Amino acid sequence: MTTPPAPDQLANLLARTGMGDRRAFAELYEATKSKLFAVSLRIVHERQVAEEVLQDSFVKIWHHAADYAAAKSAPMTWMTAIVRNRSLDIVRRPNLEIADDEDYFASNMPDESPAPADALAAKRDEAQITRCMKGLVGEQHKAIAMAFFQGLSHSEVADKLGKPLGTVKTHIRRGLLKLKDCLDGQVNHVGDDGART
Amino acid sequence: MKLVQPELQSRLSAEYVLGTMRGGARRRFEDYLRMPQHQSLRVHVANWEGHLTPLANHLPGVTPPERVWHRIDAAVSRNKTPALTGISSQNAVKTPASQGLFNSFAFWRNLGLGASGLSTALLIALFASIAFRAGQEPMMIAVLEEQGVARVVVEQPKSGMLMVKMVKPWKPSPGISKQLWVIPATGVPRSLGIINDTGETKFATDDIDVKLADGLVLALSKEPVGGSPTGQPTGKILCKGVIAKMPLKQKPRPQI
Repeated sequence: MTTPPAPDQLANLLARTGMGDRRAFAELYEATKSKLFAVSLRIVHERQVAEEVLQDSFVKIWHHAADYAAAKSAPMTWMTAIVRNRSLDIVRRPNLEIADDEDYFASNMPDESPAPADALAAKRDEAQITRCMKGLVGEQHKAIAMAFFQGLSHSEVADKLGKPLGTVKTHIRRGLLKLKDCLDGQVNHVGDDGART
Repeated sequence: MKLVQPELQSRLSAEYVLGTMRGGARRRFEDYLRMPQHQSLRVHVANWEGHLTPLANHLPGVTPPERVWHRIDAAVSRNKTPALTGISSQNAVKTPASQGLFNSFAFWRNLGLGASGLSTALLIALFASIAFRAGQEPMMIAVLEEQGVARVVVEQPKSGMLMVKMVKPWKPSPGISKQLWVIPATGVPRSLGIINDTGETKFATDDIDVKLADGLVLALSKEPVGGSPTGQPTGKILCKGVIAKMPLKQKPRPQI
């Protein structure tokens, strides 16, 4: 699945889910599971952990769907934030000795290429954020994309880029400032992430 | 941490949403987000979420296995017919509060279904007031699984209490005890106690909150009768599950 369903449709499903409609909830899951699983998998890496994240997130979505109406964000933004937060919460959990023996890494990892940074550049008409990301200088862009897509901390980004921690922090801080300037300078409906033209 | 400057609020919100804010800083930030007086911080976070999360659309989808849905479905099924699922154990606790979230949610959901003419806002307000009064919003929940099969569901209906429900019991084995552990970030398990072989087990002790505070995972191990002699798990891990903390009240849901 590469095209998310229309925001209106998702909002409708969420509203019905909030009323306890199990079928709507099942449809909501079907419509969003691949995107959300990919989001988590990219951060936590292990399929089993990503499955747990998806599971926890949807249990949470079920319980909180009723107050989605109070959030003015797009449905996909709201759900993606839940999945990202859950992923970031547990990505650093220790490698417990109770972990299963199976190697979840081996076979079913998503295609790591193109690299996130390239994937961003490849869809330049995607949204304002993509346009603004494009305006960042290479190192800022790379550091922010790595942090966002892979859920990496400052020091992990620094390791991957082979740069000093302070440099990476500066790249990210300045990059985010620049993004904000760019986004603030545009019409303010970026939040509607499902709406593509 | 004083967060009065808009620039600082925006910067921290950005790092929070981007995910580079981690560990203790992230948890503290989330505490701030929950505080009613920090509305502007919630707006910053919402703005950044609106800005950055659409980037996730760039990721190619990956289809999760069927079992994920089955687990989700099983977890939410419990609140569909809470009265019918029953509590079989002699240790059953029958007070509404201790039956936890599912009953309370079922209550307001049923109410909602029967009152479809009511506005969503009214229902939300109603729910908030019910949940608040009854104090039934769970603090955390974990589904413990053995090779993808949900065995045990644990929820913390309120401070100082833990409810453990055996959803798929093992064959009776008189010579062993099943001991519940919480594993924190340090990786050193803490015992929560022995659970019943069937039905529900209720733990109500003052130190539960402390034990669970930094817990990440719950696990059930096979131990000699009476529990592990060493204070650490000695037998096979029967099932385990990640803890989902579920703050609903004053959740950081911003109004933009």
